[in-house]
Amino acid sequence: MYVKAVPPTDLNKNTEWFTYPGVWTTYILILFSWLVVLCVFGCSPGMAWTILHLSHFLVTYHFFHWKKGTPFADDQGIYNGLTWWEQIDNGKQLTRNRKFLTVVPVVLYLIASHTTDYQNPMLFFNTLAVFVLVVAKFPNMHKVRIFGINADH
Amino acid sequence: MIAIPYLTALTTYFSYGLLFAFGQIRDLFRKVLDWCRSNNLQGYAPICLGLEDFYVRRLYLRIQDCFGRPIASAPDAWFDVVERQSNDNNKTLKRTEKITRCLNLGSYNYLGFAAADEYCTPRAIETLKKFSPSTCSTRVDGGTLTLHNELEEFVAKFVGKPAAVVFGMGYVTNSAILPVLIGKGGLIISDSLNHNSIVNGARGSGATIRVFQHNTPSHLEEVLREQIAEGQPRTHRPWKKIIVVVEGIYSMEGELCKLPEIVAICKKYKAYTYLDEAHSIGAVGKSGRGVCELLGVDTADVDIMMGTFTKSFGSCGGYIAGSKELIQYLKYTCPAHLYATSISPPAAQQIISSIKVILGEDGSSRGAQKLACIRENSNFFRSELQKMGFEVLGDNDSPVMPIMLYNPAKIPAFSRECLKQNVAVVTVAFPATPLLLARARICISASHTKEDLVKALEVISRVGDLVGIKYFPAEPKKEHQE
Repeated sequence: MYVKAVPPTDLNKNTEWFTYPGVWTTYILILFSWLVVLCVFGCSPGMAWTILHLSHFLVTYHFFHWKKGTPFADDQGIYNGLTWWEQIDNGKQLTRNRKFLTVVPVVLYLIASHTTDYQNPMLFFNTLAVFVLVVAKFPNMHKVRIFGINADH
Repeated sequence: MIAIPYLTALTTYFSYGLLFAFGQIRDLFRKVLDWCRSNNLQGYAPICLGLEDFYVRRLYLRIQDCFGRPIASAPDAWFDVVERQSNDNNKTLKRTEKITRCLNLGSYNYLGFAAADEYCTPRAIETLKKFSPSTCSTRVDGGTLTLHNELEEFVAKFVGKPAAVVFGMGYVTNSAILPVLIGKGGLIISDSLNHNSIVNGARGSGATIRVFQHNTPSHLEEVLREQIAEGQPRTHRPWKKIIVVVEGIYSMEGELCKLPEIVAICKKYKAYTYLDEAHSIGAVGKSGRGVCELLGVDTADVDIMMGTFTKSFGSCGGYIAGSKELIQYLKYTCPAHLYATSISPPAAQQIISSIKVILGEDGSSRGAQKLACIRENSNFFRSELQKMGFEVLGDNDSPVMPIMLYNPAKIPAFSRECLKQNVAVVTVAFPATPLLLARARICISASHTKEDLVKALEVISRVGDLVGIKYFPAEPKKEHQE
């Protein structure tokens, strides 16, 4: 089965790959594969989903909202003050990609809290994780650095 | 349009994700291990932040031996490739004394002028003896020889414009001309896959840059209408000037530009057209005059025509051709003319001789033969590759044909396997191409004989089976009647 790849008009090579077909599927497949790994360890489904949710939070927060700039020097540092989330789609808010990436942690949170039967302390960590992730993806938080954390030198 | 098998797209993303994850883990360990070691910066700031060379350190260096291979002879159809070896897993490479004779499928040697030519080389040597290798001066100070004036007239006549100006380097031609032609308050609309020199020149000019979807005239019209209606950012005043920049043949796609439609749209909205013919001048068109001749566009409709001499003419340098007033203006203002050394005399003579050969003014029909040869070679090679099931981009008649690889692991596999069988190919990956679309780019030359092409096809087919890049079903061979 073939898909058409149309080159997008995004000049930022760091984020342009996200507009090609197949990205969303790969993202979801990676999440599911980690679930399989965790189940092999023999923990309860609730713990597996919670661990998946929390590790997803750590990884995506670090790479989407903490690391700034691009991993290559070709663009001469124009994006050095922007995190990956702020660079994607050229800074346009509320595009399809952004909406998808906001929905995924919420869905994970719902599944994780359901399978752990809403017990503490898992519920607390899950809620904190999803709260931080979703607030970081709000359009109003574009280029906002709270208390100057992670601001440019 | 590139058609990717869906599974390949998923596996490519997964592979890049894995490479990225491994790179990050290695960086983490390096940071932990270096925590104790004190740095010897002595108060100076580090030259680069650890993030911006992540791609080079963790992905590019792993397959460094596939790029930048030194060669030890002229880049003819067959050339000598120097072998390199590495003791520390490709972090550093050392040249050895051994050389291998390989088939050259990577050089931009479209008309075969890269090696010694019976008409051009004696004349270039004569000019070398008469004028010496360098003019040792800029054009305005003392570096304009009679050769340069002759060359500019020749180029203007060849391209079909009233006047031309030549520069010593092709990249510099784009990056030094665009800032002169347009400044703040102007608009540059460039194709999304334009060459880095154009992007550099556009950024250096200070004009606003907008990008339109590759080779899509309807999107160009949409962008033009939107931008003309909105005007300059924030003040909404009308734009001072609009220039649309396109290329004749896109070097990574092998596609021809849809020039007639784009020129029609530019005329309708009164925007200037800038055509970069680096790969198409001398290589396409009935008499080698480039993409305008091939597509039937009148050269008077394209305002600025730019090209380089490195690809089809076997020399170095670039030119800009346009109206007499434009060229006169450029000679007063362009920094590459005022401050850069003029084009080297033997190089200039090589260009003049090769243009004479192409036009048939040297008294033989070698020029027409070369043009017919490259057209036949490209069409033959492309159709054979497509029959074998490879995904090959590019239009018919274009001598550049990228073969899609997609997965990052197939890039070094293809490159190294081909080199083992004495075929040298150029592979291109991120960030020169989009992340998913890594490719091996083949450049056909007029000096490739039929046997060379058949050998190349055999090797590529074998390596393609080994590496697994025949994404389309192969056409069944016709049964021979015996």
